[in-house]
Amino acid sequence: MKRDTDTIGPVTAAEATAAIVGHARHSLGRLWDEVTPREALLAVSMAVRDHLLERMADTERQWRATGAKRVCYLSLEFLMGRSLGNNLINLGLHDAFRQALAGLGHDLDDLLETERDAALGNGGLGRLAACFLDSMATVGIAGHGYGICYEYGLFRQEIDGGRQRERPDNWLAGGTPWLVERPDEACIVPLYGRIEHAADRAGGYNPMWMDWKILVGVPHDMPVAGYGGLTVNALRLFSARATDDFDMGIFNEGDYLRAVEGKIASETVSKVLYPSDAVEAGRELRLVQEYFFTACALHDIVRRHLKDHADLRDLASGVAIQMNDTHPALAVAELMRLLVDEHAMDWDEAFAITRATLGYTNHTLMPEALERWPVALFETVLPRHLQILYEINARFLASVEARWPGDAARQRRMSIVDEGPPRQVRMAHLAIVGSHSINGVAELHTRLVKSDLVPDFHAMWPERFNNKTNGVTQRRWLQSCNPGLAGLLTQSVGDGWITDLESLRALEPFAEDPAFREAFRAVKRRNKEALARVIQGTNRVVVSPDALFDVHAKRIHEYKRQLLQAMHVVHQYLRLVEDGVSPVVPRCFVFAGKAAPGYRIAKEIIRLVNDLSATLRKDPRSRGVLDVVFVPDYRVSLAERIMPAADLSEQISTAGKEASGTGNMKFAMNGALTMGTLDGANVEILEAVGADNIYIFGLTAEEVARHVAEGSYHPADVYRGHPRVQRVLDAITSGRFCPGEPDRYAWIRQRLVDGADEYFHLVDLDACLDAQDRASADFADPDRWTTMAIRNVARMGRFSSDRTIREYARDIWGVVPTR
Amino acid sequence: MKLELDDVGAATVVRVFEANVDARVAMEFRTLMAREITAGKRRLALDLREVDFMDSSGLGAVVSVLKALQPDGDLVVFGLRGPVLRLFQLTRMDRVFRLLPDEAAALEALAMPGEGAT
Repeated sequence: MKRDTDTIGPVTAAEATAAIVGHARHSLGRLWDEVTPREALLAVSMAVRDHLLERMADTERQWRATGAKRVCYLSLEFLMGRSLGNNLINLGLHDAFRQALAGLGHDLDDLLETERDAALGNGGLGRLAACFLDSMATVGIAGHGYGICYEYGLFRQEIDGGRQRERPDNWLAGGTPWLVERPDEACIVPLYGRIEHAADRAGGYNPMWMDWKILVGVPHDMPVAGYGGLTVNALRLFSARATDDFDMGIFNEGDYLRAVEGKIASETVSKVLYPSDAVEAGRELRLVQEYFFTACALHDIVRRHLKDHADLRDLASGVAIQMNDTHPALAVAELMRLLVDEHAMDWDEAFAITRATLGYTNHTLMPEALERWPVALFETVLPRHLQILYEINARFLASVEARWPGDAARQRRMSIVDEGPPRQVRMAHLAIVGSHSINGVAELHTRLVKSDLVPDFHAMWPERFNNKTNGVTQRRWLQSCNPGLAGLLTQSVGDGWITDLESLRALEPFAEDPAFREAFRAVKRRNKEALARVIQGTNRVVVSPDALFDVHAKRIHEYKRQLLQAMHVVHQYLRLVEDGVSPVVPRCFVFAGKAAPGYRIAKEIIRLVNDLSATLRKDPRSRGVLDVVFVPDYRVSLAERIMPAADLSEQISTAGKEASGTGNMKFAMNGALTMGTLDGANVEILEAVGADNIYIFGLTAEEVARHVAEGSYHPADVYRGHPRVQRVLDAITSGRFCPGEPDRYAWIRQRLVDGADEYFHLVDLDACLDAQDRASADFADPDRWTTMAIRNVARMGRFSSDRTIREYARDIWGVVPTR
Repeated sequence: MKLELDDVGAATVVRVFEANVDARVAMEFRTLMAREITAGKRRLALDLREVDFMDSSGLGAVVSVLKALQPDGDLVVFGLRGPVLRLFQLTRMDRVFRLLPDEAAALEALAMPGEGAT
């Protein structure tokens, strides 16, 4: 077995060539000069996979040999994106394979572009999980991801007549080399049925779960290589299968089709990712998905633990389980069921083990994203778990009573079950009660979790609440996606930043170096040219890389305020065409993001952006001066093109709404300046980069909260009292940008002026416009702008997910990274 | 349904030769066993060595046999493998039935007084 101190053996271009051609021939049955582009990608990927699998087996053996504590990261979403490029870099195979492919008549970069994204997530939460896997493998933690092997990832977005159209993302259709199916480790998952109140052999109460149905969870392992290739962990994704005999009764009655329909129904469980992080309440399939992957994961965790331990009494010392939001919160009840029902453990001991093993990360303060399940549905799908949940709740409420005697109101607020009507299970409460650690994902967010979201729980267990500000992996979000900047950084300060982002501090003096600034600008210029080519390909629009690339790229949601940026666009346009004032610098407004299919307003915002785009392009006064593009199908691989090309990063959510954000970190790491509100991790980015190197505007979270509490925000007054606001609103709602349907955006006036303007667009618009003017003036001074951008890059050290993971390891999981 | 009954002393070993005990055979099993119990067989050892999988109707049928034996009969189960054992555990039926590794242990258990079916 190779030791941890080994480096991965160097691979020559000749060896890489032999491996690629060999896979074409022996795995695909093709001579190299006959392969299709898809087969070429497969052959190269399989050649890389050989290295991954060898290391993965070594790594697992090493974790077992050293008795490493396992960290199991349960997440309903893993937004992995493409794998080949990242694996080549992390395994140190990049140069050899580039050379090999050149010799075979292929360009590596072209080949990388043909890989489909693994889009098994909606946005930040899923991408965070993917960054965490990269960091755990890099710093040397026995980290295991657990999720669902969705057959269809997040929908592909097409724009048709300015409107979003959803298309299925059948990412597995062409086959993927990155998943290794493990049918021998499949597990069975019971659900539905009823509880029969029976007695055991000693006469004690023994609830029996009867009339259940069975799903089979088949694991698929996706290797996750840490930088340097020393550690290759696995992301284990489960697909749902029917048992072979699922409906044999029906089958044997001669009704073949009905039997097959039953089989299909059970396999639907892992068919599709729900395209929103706020799923409509009562969606039974979603509850089944959550239970399915949680039960599969826990079965696997217990199975592995028992390989090297006599029983489960020491589970918490061998395993830490982190719940990424409440989607895996059923782990509390399922682990209790495993310990009490299957391993005959005493309740109190089982609960102590459960709590010591589980940790919960909260990701949202938005009420609609806080999961609740109707008790009736819960009882139908998970009758035994509901019994267990009631027991947990009864004991928990007794402890609340002991702490605050007679405080019935507090007990009602804290109960895991909201007595309604309708009666609902509060998943966040279940997660909190069953965890030894509850963390938020940015300083501000954690403060709001404690003060506003669950203050009663914080009062009861203050020591369990902690903050872990999110981070992103610089291997993907700088080294891989921005090779120009990565090369410049390495040339200037060495390559230590790849595993220690804080070392970019050494870049500070370079901000004052004119030659470095010039080189930095040249890199940015090339990245902008590359994005301009992407835009030309997708939007059939030519944009100038001379313009300030002003980017708003993230899921479309009212709180993220794409609409505020659209209003900014309209202001710039009106100033040009009505006031005759040309912008200080030309701007190219880039928007990208998907709207949940059922979120009508978000989809209308996309349409507005596209209407603005068309109007400004048709108008000769604005063409080439103010461009707007909505780049379709935002996904990880597109973000990897957008981030390095941005000059200005829009992070303008309503203060107090964005938990952390990670796009803000990716942009800044690539030398974009942030235009932001004091929300989420923007607050910490401000601290890190300094007020002179960022544009901050708008209400604070406290001011927003005060307005809400006191009812003191009157958007109609803002509209009447601020001419710029009024002019922008009037232009949008007058039909100016949609002459064929003048009332298309009447809803914006209804919501923002006549209504409550729930996300505080109008009151923040004036300050936003002023901040944007400051940014334009700075951009007009390239040396000043570049100096600020370099300082941003130099000061991003704390936003590496390596730092985040080390904090989780130290404070929550109790593990010591090997590197 | 493929089933064999062997009388061994006062006990009867019920050998199931079905890989899958599911809805297809559960009703038949239930009926057959009810007939045997009515005919006076009261101490049964259920041999599941050949069974790879049981669905909930299969397990339900085994529970019905246990109930039919009350109050004075007894049923033990032996030879459970893999998924079948796990199903007994995860539905807590392992606490209702006496699960034994092999036929000898099963027959010995049936011979022991005091821990009958409940």
